[in-house]
Amino acid sequence: MAAVRRLVIDVLKPHDPPLLTFTNQLADIESVEGVTSSLIELDQEVQNVKLTFESEDLDFEAIEETIDNLGGSVHSVDQVACGDSIVRDRRTLQDA
Amino acid sequence: MASIRQFLRRLLGKEDVRAISRRYFISNGFDGTLTSIGIIVGAVLSGVPDGYTVIKIGLGAAVGLGTSAVWSVWEIERAETRAEIRRTERAMLKDLDDTRVQRDQSGARFVHAIMSGLGPLIGVLIPLTPFVVEGTVVTMAEAALIAVGLGIGVLGAFGAYMGSISGQRWYVAAARMGLAGLVVAILNLFLPG
Repeated sequence: MAAVRRLVIDVLKPHDPPLLTFTNQLADIESVEGVTSSLIELDQEVQNVKLTFESEDLDFEAIEETIDNLGGSVHSVDQVACGDSIVRDRRTLQDA
Repeated sequence: MASIRQFLRRLLGKEDVRAISRRYFISNGFDGTLTSIGIIVGAVLSGVPDGYTVIKIGLGAAVGLGTSAVWSVWEIERAETRAEIRRTERAMLKDLDDTRVQRDQSGARFVHAIMSGLGPLIGVLIPLTPFVVEGTVVTMAEAALIAVGLGIGVLGAFGAYMGSISGQRWYVAAARMGLAGLVVAILNLFLPG
């Protein structure tokens, strides 16, 4: 099976642990080389964050398990890049 | 063992955990110290013949107050944290059992209960120490005076600490807290019997 090189997911998490700790914990996963988290929406009890992972071969199950353990839940998988290299998303006429 | 240390360090690194523990510690320590001063002055004025008896009465109070402090905080925090987790669970539409959120809440509850119990133990036991040497180094009256002084000192230390973390003048905060010890001792002097 082709290696997953980039993964963009939408996650709902409680305020605690804070985003910095949350992202740090995700970066500690063995298969993850780098992760970027962006706050999308802030609610009274929860935060909606976008997480972008990059690596040679991402282990989605380990990522999901860690998010679950930190109290978060994966809402949707928004982008996946697989294969030997990451292919840039190109604009088409329909996107205009 | 290392993970427990790491877990505790993480918990104690949280300002809200430290703040709540501090409140329980000082509040119950204040109760314990004033109870101890009251017991000591009352016991000596009632004609308790030796220091050993005062210590036994004081230890009874320490056990009672310590247990009350641990037990009540454990139950209060259990209800409060459960309510907080339920609010988050409703917002998340997810069960948070066995997640870091739930583990941190349980750990914080444990820290609060321990700190809450530690307050009255310190508050009761320190003023009792002069009675250990009653009969050999000091008389009952002298031991009582030193005990009241120690109690006021403990209250002053609580006040100074609270003053220092809140940016007040520590000696004013210490004097304000210490005054309570003096008031309890004087009130006990005028009690009938």
